[in-house]
Amino acid sequence: MKSLVLVKQVPNADSAFRPNSAGTWVDESNLVFGINDYDRYALEELLRLKDSGKVTEVVALSVGPERAATALRTCLATGADRAIHVQDAALQGAEPLALARVIQAAIKDEGFGLILAGLQADDDNYGQTGPLLARLLDRPCATAAMSLALVDGTTVRVERELENNRLQVVDLKLPAVITVQTGINEPRYASLKGIMAAKKKEIRTVALGDLGLDPAAVGGAAARLRTLRIAPPPKGKGAEILKGSPDDVARELLKRIREKTGVI
Amino acid sequence: MACKALILAEHEEGVVRETTWELLGLAHRLAGEAGWSAGEIKAVLLGQGARALADEVAGRGAAEVIYAEGTAVEHYTGDGYGKALEAIVKAEQPEMLLCGHTPNGWDVAPLVAAGLGVSALTDCSAVAFEGGRPRLTRKIFNGKFIQVVDPGGARPLVATIQRGAAPAFAGRTQGAVRQVTAAVGEGGLRARFVEIKKGETGSVDLTQASVIVSGGRGVGAPDKFPVIRALAEALGGQIGASRPVTDMGWLPHEHQVGSSGVTVSPKLYIACGISGAIQHIVGMRGSGYIVAINKDAEAPIFGVADVGVIGDLFEIVPALTKAVKAAKGQA
Ligand SMILES: Cc1cc2nc3c(=O)[nH]c(=O)nc-3n(C[C@H](O)[C@H](O)[C@H](O)COP(=O)(O)OP(=O)(O)OC[C@H]3O[C@@H](n4cnc5c(N)ncnc54)[C@H](O)[C@@H]3O)c2cc1C
Ligand SMILES: Nc1ncnc2c1ncn2[C@@H]1O[C@H](COP(=O)(O)O)[C@@H](O)[C@H]1O
Repeated sequence: MKSLVLVKQVPNADSAFRPNSAGTWVDESNLVFGINDYDRYALEELLRLKDSGKVTEVVALSVGPERAATALRTCLATGADRAIHVQDAALQGAEPLALARVIQAAIKDEGFGLILAGLQADDDNYGQTGPLLARLLDRPCATAAMSLALVDGTTVRVERELENNRLQVVDLKLPAVITVQTGINEPRYASLKGIMAAKKKEIRTVALGDLGLDPAAVGGAAARLRTLRIAPPPKGKGAEILKGSPDDVARELLKRIREKTGVI
Repeated sequence: MACKALILAEHEEGVVRETTWELLGLAHRLAGEAGWSAGEIKAVLLGQGARALADEVAGRGAAEVIYAEGTAVEHYTGDGYGKALEAIVKAEQPEMLLCGHTPNGWDVAPLVAAGLGVSALTDCSAVAFEGGRPRLTRKIFNGKFIQVVDPGGARPLVATIQRGAAPAFAGRTQGAVRQVTAAVGEGGLRARFVEIKKGETGSVDLTQASVIVSGGRGVGAPDKFPVIRALAEALGGQIGASRPVTDMGWLPHEHQVGSSGVTVSPKLYIACGISGAIQHIVGMRGSGYIVAINKDAEAPIFGVADVGVIGDLFEIVPALTKAVKAAKGQA
């Protein structure tokens, strides 16, 4: 069975985030990009299935600008067999559903049995690409997997994370789309050998035209959703901020802890 | 009556989920802003043998509850719920479909959205009409920013709404219940519910602790946790953690505080190197007194804390441990 992992390249959490000049997104020029955390767990899940002989091939796909090739290269070095990079300037600002349509077109002739995505991307925090794609493909879907296992060649059993430390166990008929929650496994890192081997692996780069898609219909120009502005989150009641040397603030903290909590 | 706002009434173990009443509260406010009548607010409730719940929703905010019954929707699956809900939305043609941002609401909303030819707007913290146009506010970059989105001409608007984004509907209504058969189409379902089970548990029970000192990703490595442990011990408390810490195996899962871990309410909660993502905050905001130590002045944790220190936890925490020990005469 062939398997696919969707990989997005996103800014690292500790990058220096600033709004762009229009105030509609972050300024990307000072950001350091890496593989979306959730997607690393998704890739690992497939690599394990491959290690145990249950899937034959692991393909990584990313839709994104030129820099996204670095993320795919890392996937190859970590163990993915080949990669597909959909790169087209027209996709800047494309809507999530359009992105799902692009992915659908890019995998049309592949016949993947298992498609994994991250539960959410750390930039847009949508958590919808997996289910959108599943609906377009008319295949079953389960989100927030904390475990998945192939029951036999036709069924995958998924444990979905619910609230309050509960899991929903659900069986899906293959092909199926599953989104992965962090903590499902311990992702491996690329080995030196893997990095060398990756140099010989294929990244196929395709543009919208190659997929038979009209850039005017799926690209950013066709997007209905528009971000009007971004802003820092509302501050809530806001904490009293203590200043001074570590010993000074420790003394002040202790004083407040004594007055307010009575635990000391 | 036409339908303008359609909400998904979620239920669990025979109880309507709180998010349902908040969605109805939101729908009533939006109807006021948009000039819709209360009669155009409808709810969908899917289930088997759940008629009484549909009646309850009709009495507490919905002008009409479409109760779609069938074994295919006895338990939640994306396949069963997705198909049945999509069919109802297509028939009702509402301006908006609102679901709770719950594990299942978040699972089904994009499935239905794609079937309707739109994207979903997930995890919205606010929805309002400005100059007659809907505006949705949601977090991006895990809460470092919020974005205000104009959905443009995409209809229906499909959104999942965060808990607490609107007050629950408090009035009474005499809505109707229309019972239909859940339509899941031909060919049967490709998803089968098996069971709900408990996740891992361990020996530590943070819910009973009166002091919790929590470490986040900012602690940096598992071998640096002794700095957190020392403060917890000095205060006679327990060690808590944010999700990345337990995901990476630095501490066992039972230490995780938050929406997918435990909800705690100690007298004192000290968050060290934790940014304050909403999923963490919902698990600790009920604490009596909250101290935050973080090197990033913009970290959202300072929004919920009572007192904060902007600085390196590896300087502040040991100093506090020393001060606590001295105060207790243990130095
Ligand atoms: C469905 C779902 C469920 C989730 N459930 C939970 C949950 O139950 N609990 C939970 O916690 N999260 C949960 N999360 C994850 C959540 O969204 C955040 O990703 C997570 O809480 C971030 O953890 P963090 O604050 O430790 O890490 P980060 O967000 O990476 O923050 C680390 C912080 O450490 C600070 N820092 C770094 N070094 C230092 C230093 N030397 N001194 C002081 N400060 C420093 C940084 O400034 C930063 O603010 C969930 C997410 C999803 C999608
Ligand atoms: N541009 C993209 N290219 C490839 N995969 C993506 C892309 N955007 C999102 N995904 C996948 O969908 C998941 C959820 O993303 P989102 O719906 O944006 O939160 C990610 O974790 C990826 O697995």
